[in-house]
Amino acid sequence: MQNISKSISIQPLAEERPQPLRHLSSIDLGLALSAFLLAAIGLATVHSASSEMVVDYFPRQAGWVGIGFVLLVIAMSIDYHVLLDLSVMMYLAGIVSLIAVFFIGVQRGGAANWIQIGPWQLQPSEFAKLATALFIARYLAGLNMRVLALRQILTTIGIVGLPIVLVAVEPDMGGAAMFMPLVVGMLLVAGVRIRLLVTAAVVALVLGAGLWTFGMHGYQKQRVLTFIYPERDPLGAGYQVRQSKIAVGSGQLTGKGYMQGTQSQLRFLPARHTDFILSVLAEEWGFAGVLTVLSLYALYITSAARIAMRARDRAGIFLVVGLVSVTCFHILYNSAMVVGFVPITGIPLPFLSYGGSFTMVNFISTGIILGVDMRRYVNR
Amino acid sequence: MQVVREHRDDLIVRVRILSAVITGILVVIAIGFWFVQLVQGSYYRELAENNRLRKMPIKAPRGLIYDRNGHLLVENIPSYALMIDRSRAPHHLDQSLAFAAGVLGRPVEELQDIMDRYQDTPVFQPVLLAENLTLSEVSRIGVQSLEHPEFEVEVQHLRLYRHGGQTASVLGYLGEVTQDEVERAGGHYLPGDLVGKKGIEQTYDAVLRGRDGERVVVVDSRGELLEEYGRKPAIPGKDLTLSLDLDLQQEAARQLDGPEKVGAIIAMEPHTGEILAMVSSPSYNPNLFSHRLQKSDWQALLDDPNHPLQNRVIQNTYSPGSTFKIVMATAGLTERVVEPHSRTFCTGSATFYGRPFRCWKKGGHGSVEAETAIKGSCDVYFYGVGQRLGIDRIAKYARLFGLGSATGIDIHGEKRGLVPDMEWSLKSRKMPWYPGETISVAIGQGPILMTPLQMAVLTSMVANGGYRVTPHLVRDAKVPAPQRVPLDEDAIKIVHKGMWDVVNDPSGTAYAAHVPGADVAGKTGTVQVIAQAQRLTAKALPFKYRDHAWFTSFAPVDNPKIAVVVFAEHGGSGAHTAAPIAQALYAKYFKVDLHPATR
Repeated sequence: MQNISKSISIQPLAEERPQPLRHLSSIDLGLALSAFLLAAIGLATVHSASSEMVVDYFPRQAGWVGIGFVLLVIAMSIDYHVLLDLSVMMYLAGIVSLIAVFFIGVQRGGAANWIQIGPWQLQPSEFAKLATALFIARYLAGLNMRVLALRQILTTIGIVGLPIVLVAVEPDMGGAAMFMPLVVGMLLVAGVRIRLLVTAAVVALVLGAGLWTFGMHGYQKQRVLTFIYPERDPLGAGYQVRQSKIAVGSGQLTGKGYMQGTQSQLRFLPARHTDFILSVLAEEWGFAGVLTVLSLYALYITSAARIAMRARDRAGIFLVVGLVSVTCFHILYNSAMVVGFVPITGIPLPFLSYGGSFTMVNFISTGIILGVDMRRYVNR
Repeated sequence: MQVVREHRDDLIVRVRILSAVITGILVVIAIGFWFVQLVQGSYYRELAENNRLRKMPIKAPRGLIYDRNGHLLVENIPSYALMIDRSRAPHHLDQSLAFAAGVLGRPVEELQDIMDRYQDTPVFQPVLLAENLTLSEVSRIGVQSLEHPEFEVEVQHLRLYRHGGQTASVLGYLGEVTQDEVERAGGHYLPGDLVGKKGIEQTYDAVLRGRDGERVVVVDSRGELLEEYGRKPAIPGKDLTLSLDLDLQQEAARQLDGPEKVGAIIAMEPHTGEILAMVSSPSYNPNLFSHRLQKSDWQALLDDPNHPLQNRVIQNTYSPGSTFKIVMATAGLTERVVEPHSRTFCTGSATFYGRPFRCWKKGGHGSVEAETAIKGSCDVYFYGVGQRLGIDRIAKYARLFGLGSATGIDIHGEKRGLVPDMEWSLKSRKMPWYPGETISVAIGQGPILMTPLQMAVLTSMVANGGYRVTPHLVRDAKVPAPQRVPLDEDAIKIVHKGMWDVVNDPSGTAYAAHVPGADVAGKTGTVQVIAQAQRLTAKALPFKYRDHAWFTSFAPVDNPKIAVVVFAEHGGSGAHTAAPIAQALYAKYFKVDLHPATR
């Protein structure tokens, strides 16, 4: 395989030296600012959401954000070409950690997908996702084609397929699904023929219908139906959707005020510091609060898109697209779920939801994107 | 190799399209929020204010417990608790409290004190104001529910132990689950749940508790139920039938009832290990725990010098005293260090390792052999057996009889006791074993310790011809099958005869306790609490210095149906205190009238 960082090392050192300063001044403010504002809003909301719980998750989440900031700076300072060179190793390490989970994993909420390291529990699948994004970016960057051929598409799917299968058998279907946007985003940007897209859609439909008719047990069908129609399970998903909508709707324009959300404080809302953090925010800050948060997300996404478009090389473009695709999917799915558009599943909201591995990965991925941007002038 | 920048413009166009699509979806979601929050906002606001949906637990009724004859020992009775939701109080909270105080007949200040404790609890969370409401109080609150929507009567189920302290050592009690238990149970318990804390209630908690259900209901702003939204029914707990015989249990409890009656009684089927009666005294009233236990009651139980919460049957260990001669005789005869008819002459004292050892009978027993040595409990005879066996062989037989290990009874907290040997001495005491100590252990003194329940197992093994049984309280408990232990059958026969003589021969140590027609075989034991020399100076010793009394027995000797162990802490002598209690139990069990003349 080609060595991407070699191409930079031929640059004269004199030109490299003043770069730290130039780097700092070229940080994309839109991306950095939106990430930190969202994290700050998240901290305040986590505190409110967990005020009636046994533990206040605020101090822990503050710690995660602090660690996240350090990781962001580290990720930003490493040349992404070095990361891409290391991506094979990281990908393999990710696969190994996903396999390790089967032997030393800690059970939490059904799937044994956590690894205990000292006092911390980490989720290897979050980090494997990052490594997979790097690996695919490297692979696609090396191709010199306007539109991908079937062989390259299948290779890409194969790279992402291995971790997906490993996460799916944990079993963590939601976690496995989170690898999808990454590969879909990058493939779309790399170029896929319309004809192929249509064919893929038709094949998926036929396979799905076949699976439904011949391949699924009665109870599995029941689960799928309940997923799509939560009203079928009034004590579980149906209850959650309804409570979330009551929380969101009752927030109205300006909300009930910080720490005053009765739905949240009354413990009607499940997982209110993680998956339903936006419901808490919507109840306490109203539509005004929601609009602020969604605007910040829009700022984050458009900033990242701008960075991708002005990136120095193919590798930079793919890297940013892959990372931001995952973040986008989380944002879109979670906010749509909270307002009752899509079925409920455990997908947290970037920067806002409580969670160690998830917060760290979001900051790392922001750091990498900023790093891509900082290096856009080099070698031009 | 050059940096790859080919088809850059294509990529940029696609990124632009993708980001536009995503931003578009974000706008659609924002419109969704606008619709829910602004168009439907007042509808949801109203729903939220009235908390329309409520999750309510459906408590699974706890299983009942019966004795072997179908007598009910524990049942559930409804009890009413008064809850107040401060956020629903129509006027000032003082008016609510004044109303409640009037209904309950308690001073307002008392209720105010309770409310002060909940200051940090959110106002919309109902808090407990009073428990054990009478039916008339419940109905008076119900009548006023329109004016006082803040009050709610909650029905709880209380555990009622029909025989109170008489069955406490068997059944145990319930208590609020601790944080630790919640975490260890992995989702089986919720904070606030009542769980078994001792005895059968604890061991069989998973069986008895069933599984709580849940329902989600739609309520109006006054909390009145409008309709049910969904329901998961509760699975009731399973009933249990014990091996206990209530009549015998009550007789045993009566025998140990009263001041300075401290001790334990066990009655057990020697062939199966089924426990017929099990009493630890002093006892406590488990019904106190059914209500939230008053602090003063709890403190009184903790401060009692006789520790009523301690289950003496399994949790206290004592020296076996002369009852240990059963083990010594079986060991000596099985190991053939003595022959059945080899004789020893007891002069009332003997010298071992240069030190005199006294027999309890000052004048001595004269010439004794195995059977007569048991009958008269001759110390000198067993000193000799002990010397010939040595401590390690004594320990081996003590362990064969179940000493030093848990019996495996189906309640928690069992002590294992202590069987001393050379290795133990070096390891735990860091000193060598002295041969003189062997002589003390031979008559059940010295460092050897056992629980009354281990005594019952030991006696059952003698009674059933050498099968180790696992004592149990629940009739169909899964217990291991009785284990054959290598003891000489002829030796056991001789021990049987000796033990029969103890109770039925006019010169036996427990002749006063014989039961006509019941053929009881037994052995007395008296454990010195203070040294012989001190005892001579004081005639009437204070309670805490008096000897412990043992009597262990089974009947009928040829076809044992029941084994009875009586232990009286500071009871005096085995013959005078413990044996008569066993006699009363045998009379009850075999339906023998001990005093026909007084009719």
